[in-house]
Amino acid sequence: METFHYAHLPDNLAHVHLALFHDVSNAAQIRQRIVRASQLEGPDGDKEREAVNFAFVDARLITSLLHLQTAVYQAILAAVRGALRTKTVHSEIIWALSPNNNITEAIRRFGVSDTTQSLLVARVGPSGGTSIEGHMKAVVTGNVLPLADLPKLTDWAIVKKYYKLNADPALKAPGLSQDQQQLIANDIIVSTVAMKSVAS
Amino acid sequence: MDSPTSRLLATATLISQGAEAKVYKAYLHPINENGSSVQPHSTERGEPILLKHRFHKQYRHPALDTTLTKARVAGEARAIIKCIRYGVNVPGVRMVDAPAGVLGLEWIDGKSVRFLLGGGAEGVEEVVGESEENEDEEFIEEDPLREYGISQDDIMRMIGSEIAKIHKADIVHGDLTTSNMIARHPTSPKGLQLVLIDFGLAYTSTLAEDKAVDLYVLERAFASTHPASEPLFASVLNAYAENMGKDWLAVSKKLTDVRLRGRKRSMVG
Repeated sequence: METFHYAHLPDNLAHVHLALFHDVSNAAQIRQRIVRASQLEGPDGDKEREAVNFAFVDARLITSLLHLQTAVYQAILAAVRGALRTKTVHSEIIWALSPNNNITEAIRRFGVSDTTQSLLVARVGPSGGTSIEGHMKAVVTGNVLPLADLPKLTDWAIVKKYYKLNADPALKAPGLSQDQQQLIANDIIVSTVAMKSVAS
Repeated sequence: MDSPTSRLLATATLISQGAEAKVYKAYLHPINENGSSVQPHSTERGEPILLKHRFHKQYRHPALDTTLTKARVAGEARAIIKCIRYGVNVPGVRMVDAPAGVLGLEWIDGKSVRFLLGGGAEGVEEVVGESEENEDEEFIEEDPLREYGISQDDIMRMIGSEIAKIHKADIVHGDLTTSNMIARHPTSPKGLQLVLIDFGLAYTSTLAEDKAVDLYVLERAFASTHPASEPLFASVLNAYAENMGKDWLAVSKKLTDVRLRGRKRSMVG
């Protein structure tokens, strides 16, 4: 797990904890747990909601650390302003990643699904020390990879489809190597996520 | 006010100020804190970003000010994303806080074309008694271009082809000057590129007239900031014409008209 501290954010939202899990074997179970947690009532419900109080992002759809950080940052800005479009800052991260405004579709595409094998788990909150990593590992069964490995897991075909990049003239310029194409695609995606709040 | 964005601005370094906005250099995303022994406020920082803050205008009614500011931040961000999707070299968007009037953009490591052509850094002539700036200018007289490994004509051709790209995407920049173009330093990760900046006045238009005015504004900017600008601008136009293809004819005709009458079509205002 890696932690990023934003000194200019309010304390309760200043720390972003990120962990990348690979070879995840219990994705279906995680998804069911999140759904159940949202329906449980009373103290049991609160406890279960706290246990899965993370953003679970399909790592195949993340092109770079900056891509994810941009979504996290815009979600936190919305939370501080009291302008969340979804229920929590964590679901807002998933929504912020999606290029359109449909929450259900955002969660279906960018969240955890039954077949997910690599997961990016994010937690926004106060400084939580190492206990957060323990909580993450209690929910997700898989191998932890360094965030630097993120680009290796990207599935560019789906990314291009979801972000509608296939029609973009920028990627059709002649003579682009695959690496250059991916750099350009990452630029388009990061900017798209960053400006979602003012997209037309 | 104590919003995250205003606290971020408080940590940022002011780079320049115009009538509409202040421009800062800031660090948005921190380097991660792993390795446990790192101090909470480590000096290590990630990539810088540029913050463009459209500050509160005292002379406007507060309600109007908020609406205008939001609309302008949104407009600039939309123009930029459209440029990126069309493959124009522009700084990427890094964060948007429209209610605060702040747009965060990719930091471009390089020098403005105005500087590279020996026109001095923007705003220098407004500063009183800056003797050290003048000393700088003497030894950079020919040096900056050599550092970038290109000739004046190369830059002109890059400018022409970049403007053709935005015009083919039906975006009109609205404020083309040599200060609003940056040559990305050859050693930066993306290599040498001509990057267009400041889309604050940009709008979408398919009219050859608007594109011609865009070119005319640049021609005047060249004439007023750079000596012997005619061959330079001719070179820009050549590259522009090559890249515009069949659309060049219409723009070229309009450009002749615009040169005769000036930027404004109607005599009003």
